[in-house]
Amino acid sequence: MYSIIVVPPPTPGDERRDGRLRLAPGERLAFGRSAPDNDLVITHDGVSRRAGEITAQGAFWILSNLSARHTYVVENPEGAGEHIKVAPGRLDAPVPFEFSRIVLPAAGDLLTIDVWAPRHDYLHGAGGADGEPTAPAFSVDRSKRYFAVLAALCEPRLRGDPHAPPPTVDQVVERLRPAWPAASRTSVQWNIDYLAVKLRLKPGPENAESGPRLHGKKESLVSLALRFDLVREDDLAVLAAPQGRAPR
Amino acid sequence: MTGPWAVPVPRGYRVGVWEVRRPIATGAFGSVYEARRTGGDPALPASAALKFLPTGTGTPRHLAHLRELADREIALHRRLRRPRLIRMYETLTVDDPVRPGLDGATVLVLERARDSLAGLLEVRPRPADGPVLLAQVCEGLAQLHRAAWVHGDLKPANVLLMADGSARLADFNMAAELEGTHAYTPAFSTLDYTPPELLWSEIGERGRRIRPSADVWAFGVLAHLVLTGSFPLPGGTPTARRDAAAAYARGADELRLSPELTDAWREIVQACLTRTHAGRIGTEALLRRSQAAAGAGRSPGGTLLSRLRGAVLPRGRPRGRRAGIALGAAAATAALAALGHGVGVRVWPGAGAGSTSAAEPDGIGAAVYGAADLRTDRGVPPAYRLLIVRTAHDCGRPGVTPPLIAAMLKVESDFDPDLTDPAKDEYGIARWTPSVLRWWMHPDGTPAQSVPEPPFPPAESIPAMGRYLCWIEPRLDPGLPGDLRVLIAAAYRTSYAKVNDAHGVPPKYRGYAGHVAHYLQEYTPPRRR
Repeated sequence: MYSIIVVPPPTPGDERRDGRLRLAPGERLAFGRSAPDNDLVITHDGVSRRAGEITAQGAFWILSNLSARHTYVVENPEGAGEHIKVAPGRLDAPVPFEFSRIVLPAAGDLLTIDVWAPRHDYLHGAGGADGEPTAPAFSVDRSKRYFAVLAALCEPRLRGDPHAPPPTVDQVVERLRPAWPAASRTSVQWNIDYLAVKLRLKPGPENAESGPRLHGKKESLVSLALRFDLVREDDLAVLAAPQGRAPR
Repeated sequence: MTGPWAVPVPRGYRVGVWEVRRPIATGAFGSVYEARRTGGDPALPASAALKFLPTGTGTPRHLAHLRELADREIALHRRLRRPRLIRMYETLTVDDPVRPGLDGATVLVLERARDSLAGLLEVRPRPADGPVLLAQVCEGLAQLHRAAWVHGDLKPANVLLMADGSARLADFNMAAELEGTHAYTPAFSTLDYTPPELLWSEIGERGRRIRPSADVWAFGVLAHLVLTGSFPLPGGTPTARRDAAAAYARGADELRLSPELTDAWREIVQACLTRTHAGRIGTEALLRRSQAAAGAGRSPGGTLLSRLRGAVLPRGRPRGRRAGIALGAAAATAALAALGHGVGVRVWPGAGAGSTSAAEPDGIGAAVYGAADLRTDRGVPPAYRLLIVRTAHDCGRPGVTPPLIAAMLKVESDFDPDLTDPAKDEYGIARWTPSVLRWWMHPDGTPAQSVPEPPFPPAESIPAMGRYLCWIEPRLDPGLPGDLRVLIAAAYRTSYAKVNDAHGVPPKYRGYAGHVAHYLQEYTPPRRR
């Protein structure tokens, strides 16, 4: 029932597979240097003992800056420089981005905490006129990169081959390059993993046995997306978008 | 009624024997119109509600999932006819190339209702006969659940009020047949009626797992709304109430029900709105308590009459123009008036209407289920046909077919659900080895917490087998010689890697493969061979 995912900064030596912390609406996560006071401990001398708090608020989240001196910047990594500043002492500042990166200045270093809000709601279709609408359980932002990745994955089947295997990550990178020149294996793979989280994919049996197998995940994403019409033929336009209208 | 109509249909439009009169309601997916019969089968009613679902290829909203939603609703109507469920008379497909917006649309010809509960609550919140209506809604749920179906989208708009004022359930787009303890529904939901465990729940390729207890939660919300005019969880918007439901389920908040509820109904609503599905009241107990609560405080005759009404009226047709029975009247009066009209009117012939012009025959029996894909005259036990055919179709891969699954079951166990072979550690109709079954037993693909213990009933064994076969198929090297289906069967016996390595059926398994190939031939209908 979580709505917010916090991805702590990578800690050298600690290669836990999933350090992500999930917050349900109303849940609060404190971060900072001191171990007893915080849910997320950031071991860096430049970080305040009690540095801040992240609280899930429905589908979005709020940030409290508990430090005395540092302004925190929350960037939207897909937002072409879009960001908000949270001044020292500011409590419960709302953050509107689906993807955010909190940048903590720490004695010359810049530490980052990623926060995802995969449950943002979007208007879907025309909607009914008789009372409460029956809404699909997924909302996707068609301007996001993950949508372009999903469209690229679905393309072979949408173009008429119902049993086509999903393209490989490299093929997706190639396909997206015109609209997204910086696309790389890593960034595409990251978006595939994010889609699995966002679309709440159940881990397949193959994952349980021997670590993640990408084929199964892509396959599941494609069948889910097509089954619920998350990507339709006219959406394939995002793949050919000219530079100016490229997915940000 | 504002907003766009999902499917605009002009007045006077003809579909089959029906002439469209006026619009009744629209949802996000389809639109409902009143229609009158022009000639045709006199067994059909003079007027009906036509639900248009834009399933045609040329319709602007042509969407793959609409086909699935339409199929679900039709499947339920074909297989279930119960007094508290709205009836379907026939299904039609619009053939009208001149109107691309309508061409190919699926039309469900449904029993006409006078209003919906949503419509009633709009003009009259907290209706006086609320408890009686709720007991009837609960009867509908019990009839669904007893037949092993889950409604999946219970809300006021989907409860219809008939001319006699009684309630029936409708809109089975999200309904699903239970497989064991769960069913799969498309991932659509109405926020205010969604139980907390389904909020942002994980979704597998087959959709969202749902239990009958989801309907029980929705009933609790509906009851609170009907009886008090407000939702049980606080908040000014559905989103705020969703967050409140999440906080309540997490234990971060208490349930604070309206003081307007009587003690009996408070207990019922509380029993429905438990934090977890496991704590929720069962449908049968819920029905008994709702009926008791609906009868409480009224004359004993009220209870008796409402029972009588449930038993007698739904099959009768109150005559035409008596649409005006006041809903606000006390239950006993309404029941009496309705009874007066119901007794002695013509009773609809059981299934006559559905089979004449529907696309497929009504009421498919187990013995011939899926006859197009699996022969009916070669000894596949009827009891397993549904499971076999559904399991194969759920996979949707060309190699995993009903005849393959049937042939494998034949060779593995001769369809013996009680097979036990401790020497080989294999059990049940599909000869599952417990430590292997563990990885395939859950429909969502998650492994079981621990190794399961036999017995493994067919309802578990066969779908698990299908999941495993479905996983094997794409892992076999393309271009292996021989029948793909036989290769899959061999891989089931050994492993896909061994079959790939041997570049075909490994010598050790040729006997097994031969048997499977033989029964594949036997079970495949001639034109499919």
